[in-house]
Amino acid sequence: MASSKIEGRITLKRGVVIRFRVMALLAGVMSLLLWFVELPVVYLLDAPELAEKVKWIPFVHGYIYAFYVLTAIHFAAKARFTVRQMIALILAGTLPILSFLAERRVARNYR
Amino acid sequence: MSRSRAFANALIALVFAAIFVFLGFWQLDRAAQVKEMQKPFQELPIVDLAEVTTPSTNLSGEAVNRIVEFSGSYVAQYLAPNQMDNKSKADWNVALMEVDGGGLILVVRGEGAIELPRGEISVRGRIYHRQFEDVAPLATLSSGQLRRIDPSLLLAEYSGDYYDGYVIAINEERNGRPIIESSRKSAEPTQPTVPGYYWQHIAYVVIWWLMAGVVLFLPLYSKWRVRRLRGELL
Repeated sequence: MASSKIEGRITLKRGVVIRFRVMALLAGVMSLLLWFVELPVVYLLDAPELAEKVKWIPFVHGYIYAFYVLTAIHFAAKARFTVRQMIALILAGTLPILSFLAERRVARNYR
Repeated sequence: MSRSRAFANALIALVFAAIFVFLGFWQLDRAAQVKEMQKPFQELPIVDLAEVTTPSTNLSGEAVNRIVEFSGSYVAQYLAPNQMDNKSKADWNVALMEVDGGGLILVVRGEGAIELPRGEISVRGRIYHRQFEDVAPLATLSSGQLRRIDPSLLLAEYSGDYYDGYVIAINEERNGRPIIESSRKSAEPTQPTVPGYYWQHIAYVVIWWLMAGVVLFLPLYSKWRVRRLRGELL
């Protein structure tokens, strides 16, 4: 059963899939940190010292997302995604859970 | 794809790209503002109030934090409770002055109840933006108290042309002699606040401009994809 699933996967250049999966995981982790750590600390808590400690999160997230977009475009082009699918993949990196789901779907269907 | 549809798609792509480019410039501007804020504050020469602002006009950004001089007579005074000063709350004494040459201006003179000096008074102080949010809850206020330091709150009581913002008095004189007031508030310059950090804004510049590039790339990608798929089928 497991082997048939693997056989059912679409084969792409290994680097394309791996790069996308790594960036999707990183973008997901950074989105989690941004949404559930940085934003509450800065906008809900009155704790300037704590805010100073988490100030690296938004800009690291920013650069990682930029690389995520590039890897997503590269992957989507290689996988012959439609424009809509490509846009969905790009936007998946903006929300914490969606990029993990995108990574899982890619891992399931491509190798 | 029909010509009109292709044209509409190209137009939509251009509009989105223009928006993203604009957003990138906006973030670039904010990054520049953050950098500007990090520079140490430079005190400018003392000026006459009339040189930096006039009654019934919004206080400009350049006027804020300037040390200004003016004279006139006080016509009323109020208490502004819960004002923050050196991390502690205090009730500020706010007087309303009729400025020589026309206009009314709010002057923070000190703390608590202070005798209002009569006659012609010369004031030197730093000018600030009016407070936009209530500092004291409305329900807790009694007569003669201000929920925030904002000239618009006094319009119903004293009609006239008001100067925007307020001044924290550093020094007051009557007939050339200084008025001693021990509870004067510190008139430190305010730092404008721009949320975020320099490299954070630069990261957003990168993203917005990347998005502009992506939007322009997508119609080309769509054509390329169709050609490739056709080529693979043949």
